Amino acid sequence: RRTKRARKGLKPCSLREAVVSVSELGLGYNSDETLLFRYCSGRCFTHRRNYDVSLEHMKRTGALGLGRQDRARHSPCCRPTTYEDDVSFLDNNNKYYTIHQVSARECGCV
Amino acid sequence: MMFMSILGYLFLFDKTISSSASSSALSASGTHGWRTPVDCVKASDMCNQSPQCSWRYRIMRQCLVGRDRNTMLASKDCQDALEVLQESPLYDCRCKRGMKKELQCLQNYWSIHMGLTEGEEFYETSPYEPMTIQHSDVFRLASIISGIDSTTAKGNQCPDQSKPCNSCLDAAKACNLNDTCKKQRSYYISTCNKEMPGQSVAPSATRAEPCNRKRCHKALRQFFDRVQTEYSYRMLFCPCQDTACAERRRQTIVPSCAFEEKVKPNCLELRKTCRSDPLCRSRLADFHMNCQTTPHSITNCPNENYQACLASYIGLIGSDMTPNYVDASHTNITISPWCTCRGSGNQEEECEKFLRDFRENTCLRNSIQAFGYGPETDSFPKPVPVTPSLSPDVELVSLSEPSVNHNDIKPGDDACVFSTCANLENGPKCNLSNDYMCKAEQTLMERTTRKDLQEEVRSFGARLNPWAAVVCLPYVLVRLAL
Repeated sequence: RRTKRARKGLKPCSLREAVVSVSELGLGYNSDETLLFRYCSGRCFTHRRNYDVSLEHMKRTGALGLGRQDRARHSPCCRPTTYEDDVSFLDNNNKYYTIHQVSARECGCV
Repeated sequence: MMFMSILGYLFLFDKTISSSASSSALSASGTHGWRTPVDCVKASDMCNQSPQCSWRYRIMRQCLVGRDRNTMLASKDCQDALEVLQESPLYDCRCKRGMKKELQCLQNYWSIHMGLTEGEEFYETSPYEPMTIQHSDVFRLASIISGIDSTTAKGNQCPDQSKPCNSCLDAAKACNLNDTCKKQRSYYISTCNKEMPGQSVAPSATRAEPCNRKRCHKALRQFFDRVQTEYSYRMLFCPCQDTACAERRRQTIVPSCAFEEKVKPNCLELRKTCRSDPLCRSRLADFHMNCQTTPHSITNCPNENYQACLASYIGLIGSDMTPNYVDASHTNITISPWCTCRGSGNQEEECEKFLRDFRENTCLRNSIQAFGYGPETDSFPKPVPVTPSLSPDVELVSLSEPSVNHNDIKPGDDACVFSTCANLENGPKCNLSNDYMCKAEQTLMERTTRKDLQEEVRSFGARLNPWAAVVCLPYVLVRLAL
């Protein structure tokens, strides 16, 4: 069981894509037009800096005096570093719209 | 390899020109019929290398500016210059669509050819090289991309029956999944859809322009220049079976900015505007040359070349003469530039003739339909007319007279019937019992009148194999009779 989880966790942070309709984006637009939605996903464990190791250690030992619920993250997150330019589409009422930065272009562990 | 040999060829050509006497050089390039025409940028360079030619060329350009061009042109100096230039490479030079320095090339072309035409001719010679690509290639490509083999499922563009059929929506999807197409499309849409800023300073008299038309046109030209034709053609010429699809097709070029204007100018006025711009003038001449309805050909097109007609139609988009679908009709395609023949005065006839080349152009219409439905549409038997002889067991009355209550036909029912027909080769999927409804398709079909149904049957016949249409008919007729 553990090996399975470990294997799963090995997938590094990278750009993934999905074909979705504009309506499915949840931005309030009503359009059946389809587009390619690119997003970032994956593990960032190998990108840990001394900051992350130290923070994790001090959180555990209570050296920072923070409670258990504290949200300070001790590992990098897989996030877009750049976004795609505008995407334009025609909605179901035949009106054109342009949305900015709706899809990722590059990912990084930040 | 090809490029290299052309370069080498031109180099050699140059050599001969500069080494021989200038006068013989002038006539050398004009008279050889076997030679493919030089492009006009090159021809102009060649002319400028010879003192005699460049001198005449300069005179000629001066003849063509000025306000009373016709009196200027009639003068001896201008006539002499023209005579010499007719022997020069400039005389039969041509331009390539989308070439480097295209505008310069076209300017050079018209600097000679405007002088050649006595006054304004109705049709002008296209400065573009004739298109030799076999149109079937692009058509085949189109059908491969839309996921169907052109030999089997002609026109049946909607294999997915869970959604209303909209091939224009599918075309937009295909574009969005291609990075270049998506980028270029988003660029022209955002450009054409952007309200012009800074106009709100004087809100009283003039309303702010809805958009920057010039930039919009430029972005559209860029889209059609840079995006592969299999994407752009599919978006502009997608076949439609309902209004929603046809409206999307009409909206492709963002007509509110690129097409419509507050006033509709007279068509001849618009043509005049167009002819004052070398690019628009060239594209219009090219359209007239490639889309001219030719009565004695099978396709009604010059050289039976659909592809050339579509390409020159697209060439007009983004010019002053930008054409578009005039409405969202899916049964009857009408195309027009944004102009009218009102106020033509004594030129009414000429204006109507000009407008007819857009509105009632069989070649153009056939080309568009052939693109959507596959190349062999025209060799098909004509759509099967709805007549009692085809189905003797059903009365014609039930079709032509509203003797049966309209409400007897649920919106979902006919959608169901047509799905069945569209799917005949796989066997009927729809259950024809009364309580059956195609839920997903209820929204699509709002048709209640028999006339619409009849039309649907007719347009359907055009898209199906003839036998399929015949098998299909009884279903529809039975449905109507119930």
